[in-house]
Amino acid sequence: MSMALENLKETRKQSITVGFLYERNRERLRMRCLNGETGFEKEIRDKNIHRPGLALAGYTELFTYDRVQVFGNTEIRYLQHLSLEERIRAFDRIFQFDVPCIIITNDNQIDDELIRIATERQVAILITPFETTKLVYFVGDFLDDQFSPQTVIHGSFIDVYGIGVVLVGRSGIGKSEVALDLVERGHRLVADDVVMITRKGEGILIGAGTDVVKHFMEIRGLGLIDIRSIFGIRSIRFQKRVEVVVELQEWSRDMEYTRTGLDHDNIAILGVEIPHVKLPIFPGKNITVIVEVIALDYLLKHYGYDAAKEFSKRLDAAIAEKSKGKRSVDYFEHDFE
Amino acid sequence: MIEREVTIRNRAGLHTRPAASLVKLAAKFKAEFFIEKDGFEINGKSIIGVMTLAAEQGSKLHLKFSGEDEEEMARAVVALFDQGFGEPMQ
Repeated sequence: MSMALENLKETRKQSITVGFLYERNRERLRMRCLNGETGFEKEIRDKNIHRPGLALAGYTELFTYDRVQVFGNTEIRYLQHLSLEERIRAFDRIFQFDVPCIIITNDNQIDDELIRIATERQVAILITPFETTKLVYFVGDFLDDQFSPQTVIHGSFIDVYGIGVVLVGRSGIGKSEVALDLVERGHRLVADDVVMITRKGEGILIGAGTDVVKHFMEIRGLGLIDIRSIFGIRSIRFQKRVEVVVELQEWSRDMEYTRTGLDHDNIAILGVEIPHVKLPIFPGKNITVIVEVIALDYLLKHYGYDAAKEFSKRLDAAIAEKSKGKRSVDYFEHDFE
Repeated sequence: MIEREVTIRNRAGLHTRPAASLVKLAAKFKAEFFIEKDGFEINGKSIIGVMTLAAEQGSKLHLKFSGEDEEEMARAVVALFDQGFGEPMQ
């Protein structure tokens, strides 16, 4: 196996700042900040979200204060039914803990007094017109993505008939050339040379390029080319689920390659097992078409048809019937062509 | 495997030309070559990979060499970094 897939370095963000959370979600969640940029440098270290109803009411045992605190209708309504003094006390109680930030949903109003306390404690109060369930869904998904394990693979990543295929192999073996050929045939490039892979949820790998490189590619002898400018928008994608790894290798007499496809070889990336096809290359072999077929074969398997197993079943039946080597058509129906 | 720490010394950082001289030098050797920065690792023989690092003056890179000629490769590559790719340092 090439070093490209051995000991992949796994990284995971330890924290993001409140300012980063705000910047990245401001537009789509129509978020505003009620106290300037106070507390924007505070760090969020937990991907979960907390609704501090019980803490406001006085029960602060097991208060997961280090999470993003969301004030929904319940919290706001509870605060409103208190007198101003009690409200301030309830608020102060939360600020005894080092909370990263507060998000208020449904554009609910809170007292200027409470905003002042938050500013004193250097905690940002963000507000959104979204309802709590939607906000929790979006921010939860955002945080989940931010804190997901990531790795970088040296290879080309292409969407072939809707299947995410990563081509790997030693430097200079021709990954980019195969990717270019695939793009020429109407498939879509996600990234070349540097593929950032993120584990989403359990068992899903999503790959993307990097913001510097986007859809540039290096072709030896030609230099850098921009796939998007040359082939247009239909030739690229920004992200894609990773489904198959195809490893290009110089053909070697000592290596054993699968001949039936009955035994599937898998590879683990960030702990997720995906099919791994080792493809020996030699002159005259059309790698592009084989990669297309790998994608189509994966689709067939996905929909329940395994060619190798079907063939094997037919052979078993033929052996049982002792009908060896018969022609597939008994009689050619007056067809003399 | 050999590991080395290097610092980008030239003023303009690891921009296109130094990146090209780095991968050209790396391509002369058989050993595999990886560069790590900010927790991410890229293939040092890939121009796109090296440019992805967007390494500015003063940034530290962790280099890994693995293969039969790793010793010579590490020496040559580290020398290239130490010379600031032959570019102005200030």
